[in-house]
Amino acid sequence: MIRAGEIAESFRIAIESVRVNLLRSILTTAGVVVGVVLVVLMGWTINGLDAVWEQTISIIGKDMIYVDKWNWAGGGNWRLMEARKDISLAQVEQYVARAEAPELAMPTVRSWSASVVVGNQSLRCSAMGVTFEYGMTPAGEIAEGRFFNAIEDEQAADVVVIGHNVAKTLFPGGNAVGQTLKINQRPLRIVGVVEKRGFLFMDFIDNQVFVPLFTFRALYGFQGRSFSIAIKAGNEAMLNTVRDEAVGLMREIRNVPPSRDDDFSINEMKAFDEQAKNIRLYIWIVGIGLTLLSFIVGSIGIMNIMFVSVTERTKEIGVRKAIGAKRSSIAIQFLIESALLCLTGALISFPISQLIVGSVQWSAVHLFDFEAATVVSPFIPLDLLGIAAVVAVIVGLAAGLVPALKAALLNPVEALRFE
Amino acid sequence: MTTQPPIISIEHISKIYEMGDEQVFALRDVSLTIRRGEYVALMGPSGSGKSTLMNMLGCLDTPTSGRYEFNGVNVNEMDDDDLAGIRNREIGFVFQTFNLLPRATALSNVELPLVYAGVKTEERHRRAAEVLASVGLAERAGHRPNELSGGQRQRVAIARALVTQPSIILADEPTGNLDSKTGQEIMALFDELYKQGNTVILVTHEEDIARHARRIVRLRDGLIESDSPNGDAA
Repeated sequence: MIRAGEIAESFRIAIESVRVNLLRSILTTAGVVVGVVLVVLMGWTINGLDAVWEQTISIIGKDMIYVDKWNWAGGGNWRLMEARKDISLAQVEQYVARAEAPELAMPTVRSWSASVVVGNQSLRCSAMGVTFEYGMTPAGEIAEGRFFNAIEDEQAADVVVIGHNVAKTLFPGGNAVGQTLKINQRPLRIVGVVEKRGFLFMDFIDNQVFVPLFTFRALYGFQGRSFSIAIKAGNEAMLNTVRDEAVGLMREIRNVPPSRDDDFSINEMKAFDEQAKNIRLYIWIVGIGLTLLSFIVGSIGIMNIMFVSVTERTKEIGVRKAIGAKRSSIAIQFLIESALLCLTGALISFPISQLIVGSVQWSAVHLFDFEAATVVSPFIPLDLLGIAAVVAVIVGLAAGLVPALKAALLNPVEALRFE
Repeated sequence: MTTQPPIISIEHISKIYEMGDEQVFALRDVSLTIRRGEYVALMGPSGSGKSTLMNMLGCLDTPTSGRYEFNGVNVNEMDDDDLAGIRNREIGFVFQTFNLLPRATALSNVELPLVYAGVKTEERHRRAAEVLASVGLAERAGHRPNELSGGQRQRVAIARALVTQPSIILADEPTGNLDSKTGQEIMALFDELYKQGNTVILVTHEEDIARHARRIVRLRDGLIESDSPNGDAA
């Protein structure tokens, strides 16, 4: 049985030992320091991605459903989806007419390879043909000017609403609203700029321009294009009802026999969550790999120095055993020393990590103009520091185990004779 | 004296070390009884087996064959931790090289056996300070070994040996690292401890140190050569 007095004694010895060999201790913990820094950085990065992701999906709208020929999140069999029949405008209109559950539903059509020209400057982006109702969805929220209205929509007016990046690139000075840009030589008047939408992974959202549906037809034609239906459920509680209704109606409209699978995909932000989870997973795998590596290197260093410590203090171990220290007492003494060594490493690594995190965040925002970083905290969360400290202690205990056992099992007679 | 119960009783003890292919007999069939309150010197030249015998008596080592009873308890059957417990409670070691912990104060050094005995902090301080005072080092309690003279260090070591009130005090060449004057002072302290009723076992190769004891056991080649009362002792 280990008594409190022995533990206190062990701590006293351990602190003394680390203090006396301060330089050696600090150098020894280098591997652990790197490991802890990596753990903290990885945790902070994932937290940051989560924050950015949360920002992105809340802007796109958690209550939005998109019926499309394609599964956006990349799931499903690509060949099967390729073989699906396009969704026609007529099918969309049938759905819109019959659907009762959603707050809003509208057709959208897209060209991925649009080219927008202002003066002698051109920008590749994607163009969407949408109805005026798109301006009522979160994806169509306006930062400057307005969305095009029902009349412009109906008349297929030559108006355009541009994405955040398009405005920033083509009109760096601002005041894009009221200016004219050309698509396929056709001049279009800019009536509004959409608020910044896409953060990480979704940058294309800000590289879009929106024109009325029939203006789109005039520019690109509907031939060979599959429409999608943008559906606003109204609130998240309605999502299931809206989804079920959409599946039922679309199967009916597209004459899918009961024995067949859907020949369309229901896309929701939830599906992107899967992607975000995968990215998280990759970061974890890479991060854990690097961390493991540095902790292995670190623990070899710790183990080595603990062997040195045991050898240096062989005589002391003999004396302690002679006056009554049990094997467990000796083992605990060295385990505590080893854990304390790693904890020292953790404490050294905290300010280093904070410095890295702080400067990464600051440079992302201020030097690289990386707007997504503004929603990421420049500080390491405390629970992450706690986890890192616990991990360091566990590494210390693991690395100290063999040296501690070696010390505990020393023969007292031989230990006392050691010079 | 003979009416006292035996505290150490060894019967037909042998200790064999394997040195490569050779077997070295450090002790050959040794029997010895030491009673409570005795003052015994184990003598012999190096290689005589006296260190091995001391390690046995001190429960630091176990015999290859034979029987060892300490206070009526069979030591042969004990495991390492039981032996550690016996050493902690029953045996006070004093070493030639003092073997104090260099970074601990005199008081902390004396307290150490009590730490392993599980004595609470306050009582530990009190008892250690008392014993330190009894060896005349009350005012040196806060000093580290390197701030103390050789004689003072050995007094601290003796205090450490005494602090658990052990059944025997086992001193291995306790004056070997001291000048003769300081050595005489330390021996006077052992004499005093004996007079107070402690059981003291000295291991030495010096005749004039052994002469302090009341009984001298001489070893040679792993055998007890002679075991006789010391006529010189006062």
